[in-house]
Amino acid sequence: MDLDWNDDQRAILDALRVLLDQHAGQERAAELARDDAYDTALHAALADAGYLEISLADDAGLLEAAMLVDAVAGAAGSVSIGASALIAPALVGAVPPDPVALARAGERGPVRFGAHAAQVLVDDGDEARLVELGDRRGEPVETNYALPMGRLPDPLPAGRSLGAGSSARLRRLWRLALAAECHGAMRAAMDLTARYVSERRQFGRAIGSFQAIQHRFAECEVRVQGGRWLMLEAAHQGAPAGAVELAAGYATRTALQVFNELHQFTGAMGFTREHPLHTWTLRLQLLRLELGGPGMHYRQAARVRWGRAARGGTR
Amino acid sequence: MDFDWSDDDLAFRAELRAFVAANLPEDWAKISSEGPGGADLVAFSQGFCEKLAERGWLTQHWPAEFGGRDASAWRHQILGEEMWGNAEPRGPRYMTVNWVGPSIMHFGTEEQKALHLPRIARGDVVWCQGFSEPGAGSDLAALRTSAIRDGDDYVVNGSKIWTSYVNHADYCYLVARTDPDSRGRQGISAILLPMDLPGIELREIPGLLGKKYFHEVFLRDVRVPIACRLGPEHDGWGVVTYTLAYERVGAAHYDRAARVLDAIAAEAGRKGLLESDAILERLGEARAAIEVARLLTYRVIDLREKQSPPTPDTNLARVAGTWAVRMTGDLLLEVFGAEGLVYGSEADAYFRLSQWAGVASGTTEIQLNLIAGHQLRLPRE
Repeated sequence: MDLDWNDDQRAILDALRVLLDQHAGQERAAELARDDAYDTALHAALADAGYLEISLADDAGLLEAAMLVDAVAGAAGSVSIGASALIAPALVGAVPPDPVALARAGERGPVRFGAHAAQVLVDDGDEARLVELGDRRGEPVETNYALPMGRLPDPLPAGRSLGAGSSARLRRLWRLALAAECHGAMRAAMDLTARYVSERRQFGRAIGSFQAIQHRFAECEVRVQGGRWLMLEAAHQGAPAGAVELAAGYATRTALQVFNELHQFTGAMGFTREHPLHTWTLRLQLLRLELGGPGMHYRQAARVRWGRAARGGTR
Repeated sequence: MDFDWSDDDLAFRAELRAFVAANLPEDWAKISSEGPGGADLVAFSQGFCEKLAERGWLTQHWPAEFGGRDASAWRHQILGEEMWGNAEPRGPRYMTVNWVGPSIMHFGTEEQKALHLPRIARGDVVWCQGFSEPGAGSDLAALRTSAIRDGDDYVVNGSKIWTSYVNHADYCYLVARTDPDSRGRQGISAILLPMDLPGIELREIPGLLGKKYFHEVFLRDVRVPIACRLGPEHDGWGVVTYTLAYERVGAAHYDRAARVLDAIAAEAGRKGLLESDAILERLGEARAAIEVARLLTYRVIDLREKQSPPTPDTNLARVAGTWAVRMTGDLLLEVFGAEGLVYGSEADAYFRLSQWAGVASGTTEIQLNLIAGHQLRLPRE
């Protein structure tokens, strides 16, 4: 047991922060969100520096990949970091060069990066499939939720099966990446808002000095930090069934609470584009829906733990 | 970062589990149904703790010079999980080894160490904690119990309330105001009070949580030698703070909650309730809350093992632990139904005791205040 980053992990994080300071951040995210654009430059910078391959290195794995996804989300990156750096490498053993979308067979709603992806990882019941879109790219949809979304071609090309049972692994990795991405965005939004309520004054005092705000903020802090440990332990253990569903369930349920509370604390200002809170919070509304949302994550966690007695439902 | 237990730790846990299985009697559920302070459990805990001490497990995390084995904080946490997870067969003595001993090691004189630590390490002494007063609950610094110097003694007057285990205690870890002109955190001292001194009276307070659970202690002209003071005179707030950092995560409530949640799922299965999406979701959510409490507690243990001073992680862990217990207790009653309201039934004891998780050992609101101030650094008024 050692719950601090080791020297190697700290060195990776330090170097990564330098890159993210240069290529990502709130202003960059706001600029991209205006046009529902994908951050091709950030994607390339992460790829060139070798970060997308982090989980394939001899001395690293899913924990380092989760750390990366968390950090990129914290810097408000508009890239398919979870799919590109955590899910695809672990599932197919290689890093796709272009943006990757995630989809579930039979669901036709818009998905993250649906109009920018060259490849799609599809959860198709028992098996996962890797679909090359070639010239048949998705159609963008206009969205308010920070990350670009699009509708994938319908029907999707069949693509390549990743083997019997591979979809379960895809869902586990997807849930881990979701938890990491939620955490990064929530942490940044919490830090921003802690500063805001310390400076914003009403009734002659900083609003963050009111207990009505302090207790609710502290409750969010317990959940954000608790969810971080769930996510990191699940990553360290290789994304096992049970742990990842708990991590995703806790992260996505916390995401809604954090969204609601931080926007409440920030008042009308938080609903403007001039205040940066939206950079991190709007994407939480998108992330919390994936793979069925917190209720589905929790039900699946219960089925994993209590096995035969709890059979029924799906995924 | 590494979440794996060492092979030695895994072997220790396995050995400990076998020991517990072999040493808990058949009527253990009944013995433990009144919590760690129940009379039957207190009586049982003496022999049980002596066996733990014989194996060197009771205070293994203490330094060898005080009867320990210099074992890691992690090793003591494994003991705590296997004990609390089994309804705490150490009874009130868990508290004694968790924080009374370490506090005496940190602040005590050589005489105090020589007197108290060997007894605690043998498991043959019970302590209680004399902190709360009728006018000083969450606001502990408002305490009024006085200890005024008179020759070689302090003369103690006042009262303490909600004093768990006091009806079985040999000693009380008392905080009192030694400077009568002081207010707030100034002028307080910690005193290691023998409970057999003249002038100490107990009153049982009928409570909702079980039989003989709450007590009030009256102290009338109790003469206690000045040599019983722990740490600096008038400057005991630091002693209290140090103590509370250990106390707040001293009991591995999450481990018991995890075992109870498994029992809830089994009962739900027998009743066909696992077909219900709502029950499944709540089981999953409770499981997540328990795992969060475990991991936030592990962070505290990790920092303790690294000799870090106390951090707000302790408060985070405490709040998460309370949520986990409450969520588990609430679900327990819903799944077991009215049978859980029958005193002494399978579901009764845990639900009964779970209800005050947010009050015992410091309210959730105080933990949230501390998180807001020390972790989030939100401004004071």
